[in-house]
Amino acid sequence: MAKDNKERSTLKKWSRRAFIGVGGLAGVGLVAGVGGYMYMKSAVRKYSGYGLGDGNTMNAWITIAPDNSITLAIPRAEMGQGVYTSLPQLVAEELEVEVAALKVVHPQPESPYSNTFILTQEVPNIYKSYTVMETMYSFLPIVATGGSTSVADAWYNLRYAGATAREALIQVAANRWNVDPQNCRAENGHVINTGNQERFTYGELAEDAATIEIKELPKLKDRKDFKVIGKPVQRLDVVEKIDGSAEFGLDVRLDGMLYAVVKHPSTIGGKILSIRNEDRIMGMRGVKKIFISEYGPAIVIADNTWRASMAAKALDLEEDGVNKELSTTTIQTKIEQLLNEDPIEVRIDEGDVDAAMSADGGTLLEARYDVPYLAHATMEPMNCTVLVDEGRCECWVGHQASSVVHNLLREATGVKKKNIHIHTTYLGGGFGRRAEPDFVRFAGSAAKEMPGVPVQTFFTREEDMQNDMYRPMASCVLKAKVNPAGELEAFDSMSVLQSTAHNSLMRIMPSMATPPEKDETTVEGIEDMVYSMKNRRVSFGNLELPIQVGFWRSVGFSQNGFFAESFMDECAHSAGVDPYLFRKSKLKDHPRFEAVLDKVAEMSNWSDKGGRHLGIALIKSFGSIVGEVAELRQIGEKEFKLDKVYCAVDCGNYVNPDIIEAQIQGGVVFGLTAALYGEITWANGAVQQMNFPQYEMVRMNVCPEIEVEIMEVDELPGGIGEPGTPPIAPALTNAIFTATGQRVRSLPLVKYGYKFV
Amino acid sequence: MELSINGRIYKVEVEEHMPLLWVLRDELNLTGTKYGCGVASCGSCTVHLDGVAVRTCTLPASASIGKEITTVEGISRDGKISAIQRAWIAHQVPQCGYCQSGMIMAAEALLREKPDPTDEDIDQAITNICRCGTYQRVRAAIHTAAKDDEDVSPVIG
Ligand code: FES
Ligand code: FES
Repeated sequence: MAKDNKERSTLKKWSRRAFIGVGGLAGVGLVAGVGGYMYMKSAVRKYSGYGLGDGNTMNAWITIAPDNSITLAIPRAEMGQGVYTSLPQLVAEELEVEVAALKVVHPQPESPYSNTFILTQEVPNIYKSYTVMETMYSFLPIVATGGSTSVADAWYNLRYAGATAREALIQVAANRWNVDPQNCRAENGHVINTGNQERFTYGELAEDAATIEIKELPKLKDRKDFKVIGKPVQRLDVVEKIDGSAEFGLDVRLDGMLYAVVKHPSTIGGKILSIRNEDRIMGMRGVKKIFISEYGPAIVIADNTWRASMAAKALDLEEDGVNKELSTTTIQTKIEQLLNEDPIEVRIDEGDVDAAMSADGGTLLEARYDVPYLAHATMEPMNCTVLVDEGRCECWVGHQASSVVHNLLREATGVKKKNIHIHTTYLGGGFGRRAEPDFVRFAGSAAKEMPGVPVQTFFTREEDMQNDMYRPMASCVLKAKVNPAGELEAFDSMSVLQSTAHNSLMRIMPSMATPPEKDETTVEGIEDMVYSMKNRRVSFGNLELPIQVGFWRSVGFSQNGFFAESFMDECAHSAGVDPYLFRKSKLKDHPRFEAVLDKVAEMSNWSDKGGRHLGIALIKSFGSIVGEVAELRQIGEKEFKLDKVYCAVDCGNYVNPDIIEAQIQGGVVFGLTAALYGEITWANGAVQQMNFPQYEMVRMNVCPEIEVEIMEVDELPGGIGEPGTPPIAPALTNAIFTATGQRVRSLPLVKYGYKFV
Repeated sequence: MELSINGRIYKVEVEEHMPLLWVLRDELNLTGTKYGCGVASCGSCTVHLDGVAVRTCTLPASASIGKEITTVEGISRDGKISAIQRAWIAHQVPQCGYCQSGMIMAAEALLREKPDPTDEDIDQAITNICRCGTYQRVRAAIHTAAKDDEDVSPVIG
């Protein structure tokens, strides 16, 4: 992905190849169907091959050149989670090649590259059969990276891609030697004749292998035979990321390129009507154009980012619909109201909660928890580079969903989809923010103003922070009845917040948007708690506001994990039971959960605390169970040092333990930043925080040591980018309780006088 | 103005007060140095001026005239990556990678000043933001680089 000028602006010489089908598929049974469905099914198997590199395309993912170089099409965005390494590992395991020798390219958003798991939560297998829904989602297509789904989605497809290519290569070699394929084996990029040890390189076989169909789907390796999967293979992107050559969206440089800076309306719901000082701005050095985008903001285009920023800052805008009403206080009032009204949805109602709560005996607990809005604050602010020229459009962007980019550019530039070409760069952080459409639309509208000229459209940090799609502010009232034996007789929760999935999908993919009451993200982490409870109710009250909310690393679990696992601690303490043992006693039917809990207790030496203050939390999210223990040292009354965090992870079969360790560490830091400092507030219709000085981050001095252990579990893989985040806030505040007896029910901690060194 | 960057002289026609960051990125296409905040808070834009780490998003380009500017593109010498870069590979530090140029430049400057820094020295000197949370590996890599006798091979892969 380093700059390759040969691959630069290709509009003029770009001719799209004819579509070809997924190799090795023929002869494999597919679900029978008729009419439109059959058409969709055959379309799902096709890809253009565009951008896959020169050489012989073995299938949608693998290209082998005569010089033996192997290029993999990896259709998931690399945003730090290691997907340009872990997915190649899946291929390499079956293809019998060194991971380090593989080159990664990002293909166009075409059907075989769909992420169906993100919608079905079922691990797909294009080589065996697709369900009707999988076929439909692929046909659309939905090529997206999010929800910690990449490995699960690829688990069969990429291994079979490697295995079928390997079998085709073996078949060709066997034909040339005139021996049975049984007498050949693949090893490190060669096919070897086991009789006489003769060998061909893959490059020598690929041209023929690309044309043949293998008759039978090969058997995938067993876990015990893995040589690449489960190993700490070096990241394929690491070298580019230590010498400055890795290309992020903001690093794209093209001949004659101009730089555009976005200026949003000053308050929520505002509309920019005119630019009062247009003449003055146009007179500033380097400024080429100012316009009001149909999507809302004013956009200044100049010959240098800084000049464009200075000009954008100097804009005097006439605005309509300026909304000075909205503030954090008015939102709080709305939340209070909704907490006291009937819920829009009772998502779980088991047994008779009211009767159990009012029955004699036991202890009743009630607690109210609150968290604020949070910004994503990806390190690289939003940006997108677009060139529109003679009915064609080319785009360079770090986005989590190339199929969404495709649709947006069609809409914003009017160019036909088949003439839109997308270069997906590295993402300087995603965390859900880069699944959103805004910056792509703005870039499309800017490029349309400047036909024939590539334009890089950019948010300053201030514009990025003040125009995010925030993790929603949320409040939750929790109630429980704990009996003298320490069992949960009843559990009741009422949450009030905006519906993330509804709000966000209405922007990203309106056809997929769930109504708020069906949005699982609102109470995920509460409704799926597995602790045994006799009676249980989980309710949701829908907060409606003009504020944009969106998917933020770990989504609903980010707040609900804090609510649920803090409240469990409250229940444990009220029952006079150790919080670890309290949880353990309620996991008899969930051995994987219990094993993770035991592991993290063991790692942290829970039974022998010495002078340490420990807090524990256990949350399953995105298919993986993570237990965390926070080890806290008290320095002053409200002053602490978080010395260490222990994490035990059950993510089923794992691909790269070193990347998993890094993701869990990163997830903990992300959650810790939110717990300590994170808060976006509103006043006079606008966000008050502008930049990092007002939206602080955990830095080196505060960052704890984070120890990670991965459980050995032979089950389908779970996610890894997000599950590290939810448990840290409750683990930390539970530790604060053991240290001080103070129960923290509102975040962020610094706002309530806590200090961390 | 004339700027000396990574041992080469560049001539640019820019406003005196244009921050060095944007001269590097937009005028010279040296995009290894990153923008993260523009207010000297995150460290993404760190380069060396005569060997000292500075944040270029608030540094007028004219203030670097007559000084030797080193960016992340310039720390490998004679095709050989630095001890810090070797340690970064050994510890597989980068995640998204966006903050890493700044981290590496801050770490290089620290090691020049303190060849064997303590954890406290690292806490003091490395105040850069990494949204991906690579701090633990950054710390470990700095300690490894401090012990590098020019011949460290990657610990993994
Ligand atoms: S961009 Fe210079 S310190 Fe953040
Ligand atoms: S590696 Fe992503 S911000 Fe540091």
